[in-house]
Amino acid sequence: MRLRLPRLARVLLALFTWRNRDREMDQEMAFHLESITAHYVRSGMSRTEAEHAARRRFGNVLRLKEAGHDVRTAHLDELARDMTYGLRQLTGAPAFACVAVLTLALGIGANTAIFAVVKSALLDALPYRDADRLVRVYGGLVSGTQRGGPLSAGTVKDIADRQRSLSSLAAFTDVGIDAVYGGNDGAQMVRMTWVEPAFFETLGVQVALGRTFRDDDALSGLVPLSGGQLAPDAPTAVVVTDSAWTRLFAGDPGVLGREVRVNGIPRTVIGVLPRGYLGPMGEVDFYFAFDLDPVRDNPIVARRSQWLGLIGRLKEDVEAATARDEIAEIWAGLVREYPADNGTLGIATMPLRTAMVGDTRTPLLVLMASAGLVLLITCANLAGALLSRAISRRKELALRAALGAGRGRLVRQLLTESTVLALAGATAGLLVAIVILGALRDLAARALPVHTNLWLDWQALVATGLLAVCTGLAFGMAPALSVNRADTRSALHDESRGASEGRRSRRLRGLLVAGQMALCVSLLVGAGLLTRSLWAMTGQPMGLNPEGVLTGVVQLPAREYSSPQQRVLFREQFEERLRALPGVEGVAIATSLPTAVRQRSGVTPEGTSPDAAQPFVLTSVVSQDYFRLLGIPLRAGRTFDAQDHPNSPPAIVVSETMARRFWPDGNAIGARVRLGPDRNSPLLTVVGIVGDVRNDRARPEAEPMAYRSTRQVPVPILMFMVRTTSDPMLLARPVERELEMMNRGIPLQRVMTLATLLDEGLSGRRLPVLLMAAFGLLALLLASVGVYAMFASLAAAREREFGVRLALGSRPAAIAGLVLRQGAGWMAAGLVVGAFGILLVVRLLGDLLYGVSPLDPVTLVVSVAMLVGCATIALLVPVVRAMRVDAAVALRAQ
Amino acid sequence: MAVRQTDLLQGTLDLLVLKILGTGPDHGYGIATRIHQLSDEVLRVEEGSLYPALYRMEESGFIDSEWRVTENNRKAKFYRLTRKGRVAAQAELEGWLRLSKAITRVLRAIEQGA
Repeated sequence: MRLRLPRLARVLLALFTWRNRDREMDQEMAFHLESITAHYVRSGMSRTEAEHAARRRFGNVLRLKEAGHDVRTAHLDELARDMTYGLRQLTGAPAFACVAVLTLALGIGANTAIFAVVKSALLDALPYRDADRLVRVYGGLVSGTQRGGPLSAGTVKDIADRQRSLSSLAAFTDVGIDAVYGGNDGAQMVRMTWVEPAFFETLGVQVALGRTFRDDDALSGLVPLSGGQLAPDAPTAVVVTDSAWTRLFAGDPGVLGREVRVNGIPRTVIGVLPRGYLGPMGEVDFYFAFDLDPVRDNPIVARRSQWLGLIGRLKEDVEAATARDEIAEIWAGLVREYPADNGTLGIATMPLRTAMVGDTRTPLLVLMASAGLVLLITCANLAGALLSRAISRRKELALRAALGAGRGRLVRQLLTESTVLALAGATAGLLVAIVILGALRDLAARALPVHTNLWLDWQALVATGLLAVCTGLAFGMAPALSVNRADTRSALHDESRGASEGRRSRRLRGLLVAGQMALCVSLLVGAGLLTRSLWAMTGQPMGLNPEGVLTGVVQLPAREYSSPQQRVLFREQFEERLRALPGVEGVAIATSLPTAVRQRSGVTPEGTSPDAAQPFVLTSVVSQDYFRLLGIPLRAGRTFDAQDHPNSPPAIVVSETMARRFWPDGNAIGARVRLGPDRNSPLLTVVGIVGDVRNDRARPEAEPMAYRSTRQVPVPILMFMVRTTSDPMLLARPVERELEMMNRGIPLQRVMTLATLLDEGLSGRRLPVLLMAAFGLLALLLASVGVYAMFASLAAAREREFGVRLALGSRPAAIAGLVLRQGAGWMAAGLVVGAFGILLVVRLLGDLLYGVSPLDPVTLVVSVAMLVGCATIALLVPVVRAMRVDAAVALRAQ
Repeated sequence: MAVRQTDLLQGTLDLLVLKILGTGPDHGYGIATRIHQLSDEVLRVEEGSLYPALYRMEESGFIDSEWRVTENNRKAKFYRLTRKGRVAAQAELEGWLRLSKAITRVLRAIEQGA
């Protein structure tokens, strides 16, 4: 049996294959005519006679064909008629149409935009071959303060040697590292990363030009990177990304073999990566290959320096969970073998997509759900509005029924009308979505996974179309349900305009209002809880004062500033120049900006066994004025000063939490510790204790932290902070000029105020709050309009009845009470159902909440009060109008 | 005397076409010819009714069609009964038999009474 398409599909097919069908019919008729002619010729007629006779008998071919078309396109005609009629209905009520299209545009637009984000982040294929076969291995601290952390070279090698579930695996430096591209004139900052030669093969990425790495491209030779990490910077073979290729080489296909200078070292371009490729470490420009063997042979850094990311490709028949268990087992072995190195560390293996999506999954799903709730409210709202219109059109519908339209036919017409409305809304909604996505590109770039692409593609457009049709059917359902053939006669007979509406449709509208209340209250509570969490996060003291501080980054090229003396000299001169700028109150230098410290070092207090597991603390190297400039209070001892110089005993300043954790008896000052992987490194003396600074604002307690002095640790990367009395950004240009005067080959990077920087740290948290709050307010507005519309038309429909009541001596207040009681009943019902919605929302929000109980009474009370308040105002307007009804007018109005 | 199609009761043309196609696929001309012959040249189906009926039944899924070559090596559109059509034919046949029996009974009773 042949496959039969659904009716609508066939109607559409008929439309597109019109010409074909026409030709087919022509051929069919021609065959028939000829067969008749042949029959006549056989019975003795001449050819011409036979043809004439056949044509006479056959009749009008054109009419036959029309009959054929009619059969196929009858539904289409009907659809077109309904659509035209629907459009006419809408243009006849422009105010209604505008409001409806606007609401729909907001509802559908929000959904389309969020869907595009969710699809790109959670659903779209990653730019790798068989990306679902890729896994990522993370390190981290068992204490939980660091998740998704890096691994040591020793761990990478042992996993590679012992595992059986991966067909290939490759390590890479987990973050893009800033580098200087070009010569002394017109130097540019680029981002580079190192990968093992098997990296691209493991990912399944082919180059667009040239080749990827071979084993002999990997050279070692360790150079120190920021914060004491070690990485090889000698390799000469470079693979460039598509964006770097277009930006730095103008997309020149002859780039292969060209010599480029990165960090002052000449290197050769061997390959260009394809467009659309994005590494798991995010956007970088240059890839180098490295060889980890020398790192592994170095006992100091082999296991105590965690700086590598690791990806692997699963073997054909191996599940990600199997690989996870196997690697966890290998890790358990490594913890037993090297307790001093690995004792405080953990490991986590997960599908690469999960790793790249990271913490954004829950917020995205929450937003998708919120957008969905808004759309449901929109539907309920419009369903109510269309129901009102259906009631005022009762007579028209009854007349159509009386003239022979079946119930199905009327329902179809109403549904077509609502779908026309929804499609108009969707068209406007696309504009809204484009605007929202544009805003998100600015707002959310940092908060979303690196592979997220914020554009509408055809799939998002198809989804919008489907959404619109479903929406149209959903809100058209209510008026369609109210079409009742039984009351045709009464509707036609009923001459008066103001007869009260039927009990059934009134209940339907009540349900719609209750539904809106339920959805709205869930959304408001969710938004409220997120807002409270954000407040809790920002409200907690940071431990420093960010106002009036400008920050920026200067990286010294390794080749040009290879000796510690050169770096110290540069830092001192730079500091001096900044201090001399007008309006500058203080200058500080550090290896990391506060709250953005990534570096963690193992701590070994003097006297503990070198084989005991090393606890980790955040570390930063800071200049003398750092604490004073940021307003970090000194609790005991001193901060760094002139007594700390390269030849004096190395000093360390610790945070309160660190002092408490390592020296609970309060004898921290004067104690000595080793910091970092080297067991034989010099002992550092604690000279001071300073107040805590919360590095991760999403965590309530501060992580222990240790500071060293720039006087004793010459660093190649300088984060500077300048405190000023006026707007910090006014200093950006003068600072840049000073740097230019010192060395034109060093670009100034990431200049911003400290307050902005702190804000950015929260952008991932703030975005869902902002959007959900916006959805909540939108829902509140829609629900209020819904309540108003329902009771306005309800009161209008009962105007005559009220007139009668007034005429019979009822007091206006009693009538108001009547309407209010009815409204309050439905609102209460909505709130009761909303309680379940709230429970669902709270479950979904789960770990997004911070410092607020999931059933926070303040949030609950405020949300409900807001909703009830708005709804009551919306309700009172029609009630007041009902009270003013003039009995005589109401009764006489026919 | 040739009975013209307009004299056929509504619905009987569909029944005839379905039953004829039940014996095997055929083209429009073939269907018309066979109705003509099988009725001992009493019934003649007008093309102006036959084709709309065919298109309608195709639309309802009782029959489907494909282009084939006739024994005279001409291309023609052949209609074929679908499973749904087979069921419909049975139902129509039963309906027709009931109706014609009823009519026959009435007529016979009147004849006998007269």
